[in-house]
Amino acid sequence: MIYIFYLLFFGFLLTAVIGLLASWIDRKVTARVQYRVGPPLLQPLIDIIKLLGKETLVPTGASKTAFLLAPVIGFGSVVVVSTLLWINNINLGQGFMGDIIVALYLLTIPAISVIMGGFASANPFASLGASREMKLVLGYELPFVLAILVPVIKNGYAIKLTDILSFQAQNGVTVANLSGVLALIVALMCTQAKLALVPFDIPEAETEIGGGSIIEYSGAGLAVYRLTKNMLLFTLPFFLMILFMGGLRTDGIHLLNGILKYVGLVALITVIRNTNPRVRIDQAMRFFWGPMTVLAVAAIILAYKGL
Amino acid sequence: MFSGNLFRLDNLSIFIGIFVGIFSLLVILYSLGFMRGRKGLFRYYFYIIATFIASLGVVFSNNLVLFVVFWGFLGLLLYLLIGFGQRRNTHYTAKKTFIIVGGTDALMLFGLALIWHLSGSLEINKISIALDSKAANWAYLCLAAAAFAKAGAMPFHTWVPDTAEDAPTPVTAYLPASLDKLLGIYFLARISLDMFQMNLTMNTLLLVVGSVTVIAAVMMALIQHDMKRLLGYHAVSQVGYMVLGIGTGNPIGIAGGVFHMLNHAIYKSCLFLSGGAVEKRTGTTELEKLGGFAKIMPVTFITFLIASFAISGVPPFNGFASKWMVYQGIIETAKAGGSLWVVWLVAAMFGSALTLASFMKLVHTIFLGQPSIMVRDAKYKRQETGPTMWIPTVTLATLCVIFGVFAYQVPLKVFIFPSLDVKAPFTGIWSSGLATGLLLLAIAVGFIIYLIGTAVKTRTTGAFVGGEVLDRHPDMRVSGVEFYETIRNVGILKTIYRLAERRFFDIYDVSAKITFVFTGIFRFLHNGVLSTYLAWCLLGMTILFYILFK
Repeated sequence: MIYIFYLLFFGFLLTAVIGLLASWIDRKVTARVQYRVGPPLLQPLIDIIKLLGKETLVPTGASKTAFLLAPVIGFGSVVVVSTLLWINNINLGQGFMGDIIVALYLLTIPAISVIMGGFASANPFASLGASREMKLVLGYELPFVLAILVPVIKNGYAIKLTDILSFQAQNGVTVANLSGVLALIVALMCTQAKLALVPFDIPEAETEIGGGSIIEYSGAGLAVYRLTKNMLLFTLPFFLMILFMGGLRTDGIHLLNGILKYVGLVALITVIRNTNPRVRIDQAMRFFWGPMTVLAVAAIILAYKGL
Repeated sequence: MFSGNLFRLDNLSIFIGIFVGIFSLLVILYSLGFMRGRKGLFRYYFYIIATFIASLGVVFSNNLVLFVVFWGFLGLLLYLLIGFGQRRNTHYTAKKTFIIVGGTDALMLFGLALIWHLSGSLEINKISIALDSKAANWAYLCLAAAAFAKAGAMPFHTWVPDTAEDAPTPVTAYLPASLDKLLGIYFLARISLDMFQMNLTMNTLLLVVGSVTVIAAVMMALIQHDMKRLLGYHAVSQVGYMVLGIGTGNPIGIAGGVFHMLNHAIYKSCLFLSGGAVEKRTGTTELEKLGGFAKIMPVTFITFLIASFAISGVPPFNGFASKWMVYQGIIETAKAGGSLWVVWLVAAMFGSALTLASFMKLVHTIFLGQPSIMVRDAKYKRQETGPTMWIPTVTLATLCVIFGVFAYQVPLKVFIFPSLDVKAPFTGIWSSGLATGLLLLAIAVGFIIYLIGTAVKTRTTGAFVGGEVLDRHPDMRVSGVEFYETIRNVGILKTIYRLAERRFFDIYDVSAKITFVFTGIFRFLHNGVLSTYLAWCLLGMTILFYILFK
């Protein structure tokens, strides 16, 4: 029963609230970069409520069940992975062996749901967008796995999130090492692609394929996609914080520290997305399989050298 | 030589035997629908049942000579069964398969001779050889080659994609996809766990073979444009995980490898059988000509989708449970020192992403996406295949879910752990049931959001393609066959793909070329001209006399 509470309260509610707030930070910073005022605090929530009230359209020729089911499955997996991360962060010792691998796998399901939704819409633009999303997943998965292995190596081959957290609590955070810094840079780039933000918004590419895989979504389906994406804006940086920065501690001054770390990561992601143009899919794949993989391998070698 | 027990029943062989029976039953049921109306059906069912009996013989025999006899029969039956295919290349493929499998059988005989020399016994339960001499190493390698060829691991894999393409679908689902995996990995487990005492070098060799198999085969699968051939490459790629699992040499890895073998047999035969249902309906397996079958054959779509997710290792299906154990095993090896585990782990995990990619392509081109012109013109009605064809696929898809969600309660506890003598050693493990419950709960939350919104009553409109009308432009369609052309053109991959398509890495073609060089020399000598032969005789006699009377 305690898991249900964790899921509903931490996994869903808290993650959604923080995600919406983060989305507001993102939009506000973007606006400031562009010399605009930016939206009020509640705007992301209002957007989702508005979308829930709009009509849900299904294109002809689409496979309706798959079309409507896809967003919900992506949403569900984000809720579960957030629950997993929260449980580990709050209750040290609650995790299970190899939960990092489970988290990694669950974090790819949102991408799968976008792909399945795009495929199910029977629209050529959606098919193109979804195929690009798939290629993007292939691109970033290789350096992301390598980058995630650096904290594993640094923390004594721990493959449990709680082990990594407690190890960092005693011996200092992963990112304090050179290898940790390199791995965090790689992981941050991959996060950018996982969130499909500029310069890696190739699957959606509004100006080119009109939203790509989500072109046919409207109303409730689009609302769930938006909410999922906002929640990922919390979950993914949170995952990196646990692995590289010692997680989020809730006692006293550490809470402020944790919030600062999180806001810093979100601001960094926002700045990257505002200062870069969109790349082509082959460029993105070359970028991830080339420089990023080399950097991640270098980080692993450094980690073995004890740096 | 034939003293002692000829047959032996232990937990491992009983477990494999049970599943050999289950797969035989399902394939016979499926064939009743799929093969209807073809010629030589009596022979076909005779061969299938003979294969079943020979497989049981392989699994239960304790004497290695008996084992080889059954094993050889299986190769012959595979050759005969492939012959039922109706493609242009079927004969060539059957011959190639027979030569690869038969050739490694010869290696296996050589290995048996070495074992006899080393231990003086041919009973599986009495052999325990330390890998400390050259002969022992060669014996292990010879037997491993036979296991690799049967299971389809590199470099003896090339018969699997060809067979998948050219043999009848039930045969492919029966032999390369399920039975050959069960038997090949069964044999690999037997030699690695019982008959030889593995050392670090040999385990590393297994890990190398496993990693290369995973990555190389799945990279080839990405660019295929024939459904069955694509699935065939995955039948190779997945063997890599089983070899990796056994190569880790620790209990969780080995259990993971054997569990993956079982899971693979389930989801891969489900994929072949579901694909076969589409093939039966359309008469083609070319991806370019398919599309939009999710609305025409919904049950087949669902079974195919579940099996696709299972093979891609999406939690909570069964593929994830076993892959997760293999990963655990690989990370365990890190504690023994060395840094190569990173390579094995990344190969395994990245291979999983590539598998997902190629199955997304399949799901799109066959079931989702827009129908091809051929499918549009045929105006298929929404109609499922006959019950003899959907009962096997639904059964297998259900097994995929059950073995994933209740991984520890059902397959591991009942079959895997007892057969490997592992005593439920893992505490704090991935509890699939709990995770599935949570996932379902989270999805329910999503549905509540839907209910708050407007997803209950939807309206159908035309797809938005920038103002064009899709119905008037049937050619305005993304088939999905070319999805991964980008990857083909990235850097060095371009060269590798080109070489692979020229069959540069095909052990059969390479050795055929080498053989032709030698036969070329002999052909030059045997040209059928009498005077040449006389000249050779004269030359030989001169040399002979010179040696004798010098």
